[in-house]
Amino acid sequence: MDLTPRPIAAPESRAQRQRRRWIPVAIVALALAAGGIVVTQFLTSAIDYYCNVDEVGLREGCVGQRRIRVQGNVLENSLQQVDGVTLFALSFNDKTLQVRYQGDPGGVFQECIPVVAHGRIINGIFDSDRIEVKHTNQYVEKNKSRFDEATNETAACSQSPE
Amino acid sequence: MTTFQTAFEAKSKTTGTAASKKLGAATIVAVIFLVLSGLIFSAEDVVQGSTVRIMYVHVPSIWVAYLAFALTAIFSGVYLSNRSRSLIWDRLAGASAEIGVLFVAVSLVTGSLWGRLTWGTFWVWDARLTSTAFLFITYIGYLAVRRLGGTFRQRARRSSVMALLSVLEIPLVHFSVNLWRTLHQKASVADPNAKVSLDGLMLFTLFWGLISFTMLFAWLLVHRQRLMALEDAVQDRGLDRAIQQRRTEAGL
Amino acid sequence: MDHASFIIASYALTFVSIAGYALYIVRRARRLGALTSDDDKPWI
Repeated sequence: MDLTPRPIAAPESRAQRQRRRWIPVAIVALALAAGGIVVTQFLTSAIDYYCNVDEVGLREGCVGQRRIRVQGNVLENSLQQVDGVTLFALSFNDKTLQVRYQGDPGGVFQECIPVVAHGRIINGIFDSDRIEVKHTNQYVEKNKSRFDEATNETAACSQSPE
Repeated sequence: MTTFQTAFEAKSKTTGTAASKKLGAATIVAVIFLVLSGLIFSAEDVVQGSTVRIMYVHVPSIWVAYLAFALTAIFSGVYLSNRSRSLIWDRLAGASAEIGVLFVAVSLVTGSLWGRLTWGTFWVWDARLTSTAFLFITYIGYLAVRRLGGTFRQRARRSSVMALLSVLEIPLVHFSVNLWRTLHQKASVADPNAKVSLDGLMLFTLFWGLISFTMLFAWLLVHRQRLMALEDAVQDRGLDRAIQQRRTEAGL
Repeated sequence: MDHASFIIASYALTFVSIAGYALYIVRRARRLGALTSDDDKPWI
């Protein structure tokens, strides 16, 4: 019995078959490349996404005029909107930093909520061009007896190292 | 009568059984109830408002993905350790990984929409999001490796090894919010200190989401694994047909 | 409901993609089920 492989009749089908064989190889190569990009991002950006307010000027990576990300709570009664500029104080572990942001931060931004501000310190004020709200893992139903208790907890507005 | 001829006399054309049909019906009911509870019955959050409703599909999606990838590793381990090297374990592993990839994708997209509303941005390169993206890419790679060709046993062996290595990413993803500083919040329910921080109906809806998504996963796993068995059988049939053709030509 | 479009989109995306995948499985299983014998279906 002849068991040698048969030549494939139509050249088109051979090309199709070859293409089909290369698709998984291409996907593996793409996955490796994408994985490399993600790992690079992880090493350059993801590890310790931010500096806390009390570390600004002290901790490595949080000093000088370089662009940094700072995390803290928006201090109660510090929020102001002046000519399209949002001004507020960011607080963490009893240290405070004045922040200036051009525009409305969006998200669920409000007082007494932890945020991460991107920017740099200019003349003692943190000039931010991007704000991300870092909401907590506490979920409290609205219109509930616990509402007052919850708002009181949030309104305490202080944040300490975990 | 050849095996190939009997193929056309198949009595059952589907991968369903009475039990899987019951599971499917129960899953549909559970999902409908989840949608009603998530969108209508459950209350808004004090800070996030209605946005919190996305959590009821986002968290169960990533839970199913973790479960799927953990099971992929377990099935792969069973395949490698079992002397019979039964391919059912390999198919279960492959099916589970494929479903896991779908659910990670769902989790990434819903998380991105939730992030836009709460954080103010669709995506950040923090440890949780970055490691989840890496997990997603790893398992796409796993699925591609399964399709690299070779015999079923070669496929099973190489993908089993990859599954056992890839599963190590899951604790990294889950605990990334504790290991590093992230924008993503810490776990509310799966907290290592077991401190539940969700109010009544919110917690119930989230648990209901976990249950209904697990049922969805079970249904998909059963059917996808059976479909893989059919795919392998059809591939075998192709080989059988070629051998049969040559036997006929050789007058055997 | 605030941000209804984002919330509905999240639910729709989730369930449409899962339903689409389930439909793919069922339809492909029907097609391949017709090509294979019952011996290849140990679940019957």
